Amino acid sequence: MSDPLIITSITIAYLVIVLIVGLRARQHQSSSLESYVAGGRHMGLLVLFFILGAEVFSAFAFLGAPGWAYSRGAPALYIIAYLTLSVIVWWLIAPYISRLGRLHGYLTQAEFLSACYPTKKNFLGLFIGVISVLAIIPYMTIQIAGAGLLFEAATSGTIPFWLGSLLACAVVTAYVYASGLQGIGWTNLLQGIMMVAVAWFLGLATADQLFGGVSEMFRELQREAPEYLTMPGANGMGWGAFSTAILVSALGCVMWPHIFMKFYSAKSERTLKRVFVLYPLYSYLLVPLLIIGFAGVVLLADSPLDSADQVLLTIVVEIADFPPWLVGLALSGALAAAMSTAANLAHTAATILIRDVGQHLPSLKNLPDKKALKLTQYGVVIVSLLAYFLALANPGSLVGLLLGAYGIVVQLLPMLLGALFWRHASKVGALAGLVVGAAITLLLEFGISAPFGWHAGFCGLLINAIVFISISVAVPSTSQLSPAQALERPNG
Amino acid sequence: MNPTPKTPSKWILAYFTICALAMIWPGALIANRIEPFVLGLPFFVFWYVAWVFALFLGLLIAYQKDNKEARDE
Repeated sequence: MSDPLIITSITIAYLVIVLIVGLRARQHQSSSLESYVAGGRHMGLLVLFFILGAEVFSAFAFLGAPGWAYSRGAPALYIIAYLTLSVIVWWLIAPYISRLGRLHGYLTQAEFLSACYPTKKNFLGLFIGVISVLAIIPYMTIQIAGAGLLFEAATSGTIPFWLGSLLACAVVTAYVYASGLQGIGWTNLLQGIMMVAVAWFLGLATADQLFGGVSEMFRELQREAPEYLTMPGANGMGWGAFSTAILVSALGCVMWPHIFMKFYSAKSERTLKRVFVLYPLYSYLLVPLLIIGFAGVVLLADSPLDSADQVLLTIVVEIADFPPWLVGLALSGALAAAMSTAANLAHTAATILIRDVGQHLPSLKNLPDKKALKLTQYGVVIVSLLAYFLALANPGSLVGLLLGAYGIVVQLLPMLLGALFWRHASKVGALAGLVVGAAITLLLEFGISAPFGWHAGFCGLLINAIVFISISVAVPSTSQLSPAQALERPNG
Repeated sequence: MNPTPKTPSKWILAYFTICALAMIWPGALIANRIEPFVLGLPFFVFWYVAWVFALFLGLLIAYQKDNKEARDE
């Protein structure tokens, strides 16, 4: 067998295993929407840990993160910092969300926020639903496109881009369609272990084979290009840009609906907290991947890559002399990162479309549970197809849409924190903060540049919080409870 | 029904803040150098690896404290 054929066979075998695990998970599931979307609020420690870990670490971990280390150096550590620090926000708010979700049957982020801040015809819920889907679809497209790229590069073109992304997308769609969160849970367990094992192996083996060890690799980099090893890195990322990017990403991470909605699925608040205790260790996955990026600075000094995201693939496939079966496993691990995230995104987008957007259509109001479940399953297929075709068309505006829509989703954070912890939190203040924060974020992202090189979303959050707090303080309030506490005690 | 989740203690919040400040300006300024190497990593890289572990330890202690209080009630 030729090398690309061996690589392809191993990877296809891996996809088949994922598919079988995902489809078999169906037997754990009863046929209710709550079971399909939130695993019946019964997910345990092990599975929930891997659901969260594998959904947070996406194709970006294998492509973008080493690419940052390769092209910029030390600023790439922002990725480790924000992905770890985001757990602080989860720790503080997730138990409340899980608890109120159980009490009132919430399944989405919009349901929670619109219960705290009721608006006419539930306009807020509709707005959150639409904007979340607009953020999720380009994000999912990037995962599907990443899978195609990985396939094409690792098999030297034997599996072309369109087929690679189709295979990954089809496997994900099939198990999410059939098994819902149970399917995601058991496959993410497998994919999560796979990506951690592959990342560590590749990082250590690359450094060992080409330099004689990690320490030796860094010593060599220190001699040849020491600017990569400290801030501001190779292209001068300032401390302001670095710090605000970490802060806004760590704070905003929780507002990704696919992460937020997992809080509803935990068996208990204790399970959630145990998951969060372990979660920082998962982010060590990035260390070996960054090591490969740093190694690329030395290895590719004479022939720099056009696209920094290709650094891991170039080193693993072309420079290191790995046997083909190992490249096959490496490809499987990287695909695991892309697919496990894509699965959660398809699942979440479909749920939001039916629960938050659909309920505004007269024909979809007050659906019986069975019908809502069926529609959500169809939604998974539609969202996945859409992401696949967008990946083929590869419109350049996709990244802009992701930045813009996610930038607005992050602006929901102040109103969420206010709803949970602040008895003066007022609806007028929350909505005004959201509008102003979103406008500032969009203006700084696409219009004028932000002051001091700060992150656009961070400036938006600051102004948002100031507007929210000043208006809420000005509005007279008689309540002794925060909006979310009031939901807990409907009669008093 | 479980009792309402308790607001985390001031100590935990202070610890979380320290972890966050260590990874951004100004905390990370003091670690912005290559030497000494620790665990085979340049110091600035090691700094982040170490604070991830510090956050893990903090969460572990906070979890055990929460649990103990829940048992005592």
